[in-house]
Amino acid sequence: MKKNDWTRRELLQAGAGVALAVANGRPGSMFAHASDGPVRLRGKADACIFLWLGGGAAHIDTFDPKARGDGKKKPGSYYDSIDTAINGARVCEHLRLTAPLLDRCVLIRSLTHDIVSEHAAAANLLHSGRRPSGTIIYPSIGSIVSHQLGTKTDEVPAYVVMGYPNITRDPGFLGARYGYVYLTQIETGPNGLVRPPDIDDTRQQRREGLLDALRKNFLSRHSGDQVVQSQISVSEQGFRMAGPKFLNVFDLKRETSTLREAYGGEFGQRCLLARRLVQAGVRFIEVSFNLNFLNGTGWDTHNEGQLKQHLLIRDLDQALSTLLLDLERNRLLDTTLVVVATEFGRPPEFDGGGGRGHHSRAFGGLLAGGSLRSGRVIGVTDDLGKNVVERPVSIPDFHATIHAALGIDPSRNLYAGNRPVPITDRGRPIAELFAT
Amino acid sequence: MKFFRVAIGVVFALLVTAAAYAREIPRAANPVQVEIFENVPAVSQLNPNGEPTEKYTEPAFAFVHIPTKYSGNALPLDRSTPFILRASLERSFAAGEHQFRLRARGAAWFQIDGKTLLSTKPQKPNRSGDDPVPPPVVRNSRLRPAPYPHQDAVAVTNLDGRPHRFTLIAVIGGNGLVPSPGELCVGVGPVGQVEQLLGPDTAPHLTDDEWNSYSADSLRRHKAVDALRRRSAGSAAAMAWNARHEKIRQWVLAQPAPKIADVSSAMPVLNEIDRFVGARLEKAGAKPAPLTNDLEFLRRLSLDTTGVIPTAAEIRAYLADSPASRRARAIDRLLASPAWSDHWVSYWQDVLAENPGILKPDLNNTGPFRWWLHQSFADNLPMDRMVAELLQMEGSVARGAPAGFAQATLNDSPMAAKADIIFQAFQAEKLACARCHDAPFHPYTQKDLFSIAAMLQGKPVKLPVASTVPIVEGARKPLVEISLKAGDIIHPQFPFEDRLANTADLDIPGIGGIPTRSELARRILSPANNRFAEVIVNRIWKRYMGVGLVEPVDDWSAAVSSHPELLRYLARELLLSGYDLKHIARLIFSSHAYQRRPVSEMTAQTAPDARLFSGPARRRMTAEQLLDSLHLSAGKHVASEELNLNPSGDRPPTEFLNLGAPERAWEFTALSNERDRPALALPMAQSAVDVLTTYGWRQSRQNPVTNRDDAPSPMQTLILANGNMSARIVRLSDDSQFTELAWKSNSLTALLNETYLRVFSRPPSSEEMRLLRRYLQPAYSGRRLRNVPRNTAALETDKRVSWSNHLSPEATVIRLEEERRLRLGEAPTQRLSARFRERFEDVIWAMFNSPEFLVIP
Repeated sequence: MKKNDWTRRELLQAGAGVALAVANGRPGSMFAHASDGPVRLRGKADACIFLWLGGGAAHIDTFDPKARGDGKKKPGSYYDSIDTAINGARVCEHLRLTAPLLDRCVLIRSLTHDIVSEHAAAANLLHSGRRPSGTIIYPSIGSIVSHQLGTKTDEVPAYVVMGYPNITRDPGFLGARYGYVYLTQIETGPNGLVRPPDIDDTRQQRREGLLDALRKNFLSRHSGDQVVQSQISVSEQGFRMAGPKFLNVFDLKRETSTLREAYGGEFGQRCLLARRLVQAGVRFIEVSFNLNFLNGTGWDTHNEGQLKQHLLIRDLDQALSTLLLDLERNRLLDTTLVVVATEFGRPPEFDGGGGRGHHSRAFGGLLAGGSLRSGRVIGVTDDLGKNVVERPVSIPDFHATIHAALGIDPSRNLYAGNRPVPITDRGRPIAELFAT
Repeated sequence: MKFFRVAIGVVFALLVTAAAYAREIPRAANPVQVEIFENVPAVSQLNPNGEPTEKYTEPAFAFVHIPTKYSGNALPLDRSTPFILRASLERSFAAGEHQFRLRARGAAWFQIDGKTLLSTKPQKPNRSGDDPVPPPVVRNSRLRPAPYPHQDAVAVTNLDGRPHRFTLIAVIGGNGLVPSPGELCVGVGPVGQVEQLLGPDTAPHLTDDEWNSYSADSLRRHKAVDALRRRSAGSAAAMAWNARHEKIRQWVLAQPAPKIADVSSAMPVLNEIDRFVGARLEKAGAKPAPLTNDLEFLRRLSLDTTGVIPTAAEIRAYLADSPASRRARAIDRLLASPAWSDHWVSYWQDVLAENPGILKPDLNNTGPFRWWLHQSFADNLPMDRMVAELLQMEGSVARGAPAGFAQATLNDSPMAAKADIIFQAFQAEKLACARCHDAPFHPYTQKDLFSIAAMLQGKPVKLPVASTVPIVEGARKPLVEISLKAGDIIHPQFPFEDRLANTADLDIPGIGGIPTRSELARRILSPANNRFAEVIVNRIWKRYMGVGLVEPVDDWSAAVSSHPELLRYLARELLLSGYDLKHIARLIFSSHAYQRRPVSEMTAQTAPDARLFSGPARRRMTAEQLLDSLHLSAGKHVASEELNLNPSGDRPPTEFLNLGAPERAWEFTALSNERDRPALALPMAQSAVDVLTTYGWRQSRQNPVTNRDDAPSPMQTLILANGNMSARIVRLSDDSQFTELAWKSNSLTALLNETYLRVFSRPPSSEEMRLLRRYLQPAYSGRRLRNVPRNTAALETDKRVSWSNHLSPEATVIRLEEERRLRLGEAPTQRLSARFRERFEDVIWAMFNSPEFLVIP
């Protein structure tokens, strides 16, 4: 398949069939996995909403509460805890809307890694599943999913980010085709796909008319030139993309105000948009949650950031619970995997300003939907949430679970040139979550 | 030999004079004497003992840049942190009351005759992002407000009309602080009025306009002086390299000259290159493509030398030259352009994996050695010297010296990464696979790579765990060979003795440094090592001809040359010229082969025996060429914030790098907002980065790359059609050259001609002229709106937002609002009727989005 041969389908995303053919050119895996038993674990999800709590959300202040601390010298949770739909599991009192819905969820309390000093490095690990190597650049999970699954329709991109473009989300050696469309503010819409505000339909039509004439003129002077031809055909296709059908997906005014209010603030509105994008056929939607408004620091609750952390947790609570119910109502929950992830957790001790530092030896994540065997807790941490005492889950394992839920074999090889790179670094999906 | 010595003496004398000149610009123009003292104990700051490490002069008491300190290799060095600046001036003022204002970021004292009149407090290093955003500037006069975090200290004093000594002592930098003077200055004036900078009577006032103008002039002047100082500091090194090149020349000339191929008289020949290419064409029974026309040639040559299309003025000057000489003159002129270095920096950033981070860099980041690359190409340093300096990895990391190449943050074996980069770049040997196991498809073992890594380190290295392949008990044996295990110690030892001999007779000029690094440089740069010269000339060939004589350019293990004699000829020319890239470039540009129409069927995948170069390969602009050419065409400066998340200067420079406000695309970098915090966003820079990344520029260069992933894609079309950056380029604001052209033009035909020259480097065809006249004529005659002021408000960045306060909600509000305003774009000119303006914008939009803009002729 010629590189420049773009069909409508490949507009922003590689066709799954072709991608898999290239990726699986060599049979088998170079490195055998002890875990690869005869039965491959796979879920039923065909789309993923990845809710990113940037900054490092304190696990003992959210989904893995412990005995109360005092915000000063005595370590422990900052809030009280409440019962949930999972027998024996409690969560922070500020998650009261999500608590009764945990039967649709899996609480993973035993995530663990060793990058605690720097946000960018830890966020990179959580997004790419590996530490940077310097020889190749590993792709983000969103790029891998879009590479493996392709788009459902040829009118939408496979991978959308609501947040700031940064390296952790990039496609790495998979190449620019598996990159993402992003937006930083819902009102402005996806970057590059929306025309500048002063260009209405009429003016756009006139512009495209002029461009068409110039293109034809240029082509007539270089009719035999393959590079010119491919440039022109790609240019024509670009304008056919980003049509009103896709852009209407971003128009939240098409939803009822009741629903919009139920979702809550900016993060909630992003979650609502994520549901619409799933319905439109987007495969992987990362929704970032880190506007400093509510408490100053976002989830990175050093010092005084701790004081208003409950506002963040409530925002998360409102958005997540509404999202789960909304997906369910729309019969999407069984085929949509919802992930709540963060780069590390936070220690039970309080710092000089009453906040918390970073802690990565034990922290938490959440999965929901995708027909996983939900309503359970994976892993146990000690009495202050500092160490994992049962069932540690590495980041490759976490990724492997997500891939398996989406029907992707996490031990399959991708290729960086002719170098095979397994999708995860020896990650093993959490077997209990999959129906045999 | 005697002549040689005399010549050296003369050159040395000239250089010494230049050095002296560089140090002291005539007193009359610069009355302020400045001294820099380093390593001054805190107690002696007011009276530094010992000799200053720098002495120079300034026109007035305003210090926006301190001269850079250079090593004997002309590499920038760090000064001590802090260092002390002492400036003094002797003059008299009219008798009476005078108001003095001291403005400084940190500790400073202003004295009259040794007695302190004004002082400011030391700057406190910041520890977290929680500070409040400082209050907005309140302007109650024409005085330029002190930008945060500068302090102003003001006092009134009575002077008697006699001469007095005015002295400023300032502490610059310090632990956890950025060692830059900011807007350090002293002003003087009548009580209650806006001061003038202390200096001569003609010194500028401390207003925004006068300060900005003075500051820009000062930076330009310092940049020029730095270049002179740099060259003079490196003059001995330059002479040593010249001596080496002379020896190499003798060695080459002593060998039999290569046979130049024969061609029939039917084959067009402008220089020897054409004989080699022509001979293969004749053998294959193929014909050369016809020449491009003169305008197509100029556009292509401009892009290849300066990275931008020609201006309309340049095109006219070119056409005014006689047809017989205009191409040769264009080659001369463009090879002498300072933008030559801008265009080369991008290439080597990719090949050498230059990867600075502006925020706590921990993702395989290097130092900003882009600046060393830029200065080296600006000084036209010979290629062998550049490679030697790169391998020696010395100088100041923060100031962009090759020491920054040694870094790879959070990489468990930076030197193994550098070994791979060096060998791909200069030997076309891909060691990368040998990082974790013996290379499966190349003849290198892991021990080979790590032996070179140890040479770069200067001592034995331990094999890190992450550079190994896990062997799972009971699992199938891996297909790759694994000869080392984690924890093994590997010693510095050159592993390819048979291929690169250690020729000790031709020394690498250099100062100190790690001996095994110099040894590696000696081996690679030995004139007997044909591979190095051939790899370099092949890279240059590919750059201009679109396809290499050997492909792939960075891995010759399985490669076969399409024109082996031509390759040898060019490699020999490189040695004879003293490793001068411009010499090779000139040979290529002057050949008939380069000047022909492009051939789109020839690509890097074309087999060597079919790669005939009947014309150069057809290419598209790179991302950088596109961005820079769009801006040049519209006559607009690149709009970007300063790439600096710590404008208040109160965090250590190792954590926060200041890459300045980009003027050319190579100056951008990844914007490092992994934290997703709006207050850390740089919206204007993001608009440019969006275009660049979509067109294949890498924002994170963790590994070396020669061929970018930049195939045409619909997203490229969309970002150019709809993105913020191009909306700004197209917008007829008052700072667009298109606005001026439209206003001043005498006829629509003339306007369209000029527009076409600016955008497509050619006049419009009659068909195009008809189409566009039809579109614009109805609105054209009423286009001018008289007596309407210019709208000069540019998109402003609020500089109060800094890392130290980015967690405050106010900082978030400020940046989100800037993002929204950016989306709305710059205000359009009111001097043209909206009807005409919109239509003309439509035409410009269509031209910029036409494939013709992007495809190189």
